[in-house]
Amino acid sequence: MTDLLIFAIFFALLALLCVYRLVKGPTAADRMIAGDNADILLCCAMILFSLFSGRGVYLDIALICGLFGIIDTIAVGRYLDKKGRFNNADSDHH
Amino acid sequence: MLIRIIIDLLIAVGLVFACAGTKGIIKMPDPFSRMQASTCISTLGVLGVATGGVLYAAVVMHSASAAIKIAVIALLIMVTNPVGSHAIAKGAYSHGYRPEKKMETDDLGRDFDE
Amino acid sequence: MQKTKFSAVLATFIVCFVFWVLLDFSFKVEELIAGAVVALLVALFTSRFFIRENAGWFFNPSRFFALIRFWCVTFVGELIKANLNMARICFGGCKDINPGIVKIPTEMKSDYGLGALSNSITLTPGTITMEVTEEDGQNYLYVHWIDVKETDPEKAGEAIKGTLEKGLRRVWQ
Repeated sequence: MTDLLIFAIFFALLALLCVYRLVKGPTAADRMIAGDNADILLCCAMILFSLFSGRGVYLDIALICGLFGIIDTIAVGRYLDKKGRFNNADSDHH
Repeated sequence: MLIRIIIDLLIAVGLVFACAGTKGIIKMPDPFSRMQASTCISTLGVLGVATGGVLYAAVVMHSASAAIKIAVIALLIMVTNPVGSHAIAKGAYSHGYRPEKKMETDDLGRDFDE
Repeated sequence: MQKTKFSAVLATFIVCFVFWVLLDFSFKVEELIAGAVVALLVALFTSRFFIRENAGWFFNPSRFFALIRFWCVTFVGELIKANLNMARICFGGCKDINPGIVKIPTEMKSDYGLGALSNSITLTPGTITMEVTEEDGQNYLYVHWIDVKETDPEKAGEAIKGTLEKGLRRVWQ
């Protein structure tokens, strides 16, 4: 029974290591990748903790956590794409 | 007892690949290589944990709804993750991020940057 | 903005309803009816964004099972191979990498085929699809590859997507 809790703590520690890259990362893309993967690792930890504690509500939290991580990644990716094209067109024009 | 050992082994395999992906995210030199390393987490890391979790929920806890919900979570993560990865790679490239070390070949820059 | 087709609405409705049943997992009649109404509303309003071509393959059992077989056998094999390679690179100190972007031709024509192929390429560690273009009726993919071994388009394409494309050609053109 406790082995699941130990695995869950390891996954949460890996998510903390991703936060290091989220804080330090030189570019916006680095931060987004680290945030996305911290989301996914926390989702894994949440699944294991739900199995450990036997409560189903953590599975719903894991589902929402995993899905919303994708939405903000796509939003930032589209923003960087549009901004880059706009800047390139602008510099060509002048 | 045997099923518990199998479940622990599956989750440990997931943990090993998640460790590899996290080390890649921290140590790799440029954004695109970090993205490549992070794919390890969302494929075999999630798959190992989900397979172990489904086995645990079905065999040890006898709860079919928890098993199916874990399988749906893993399926949704594995279907939606490449979309985000694709969006952020394209966005980072067209925003002008380039790796410091010169790339081996750069067909996209050759065809679109002129 | 294209018109809403009946087969597209039916396919979206089935997917939404199956997900409702899987997530809710209670088989009372009133919950099933509520799920069917919500799924029908979602399908009526959004199917034209999700399905742009003919969705008939969804109802064809042989192609559907070919897709399931591709996911469960071919794709998982490729995934484990690429993951072991990537884990070796990461635990070895992230030193022996040789990144580059290569342009590879593909035989796929339809939207579903291109989407499935590029998502499969992105999901195997070591390769990320960055752009899809069309030149003279031939579709090309731009792929970021972490360990460039070939710069010739045909050979690089064979190394990156050889088995994946063979598996997917059984489902879509």
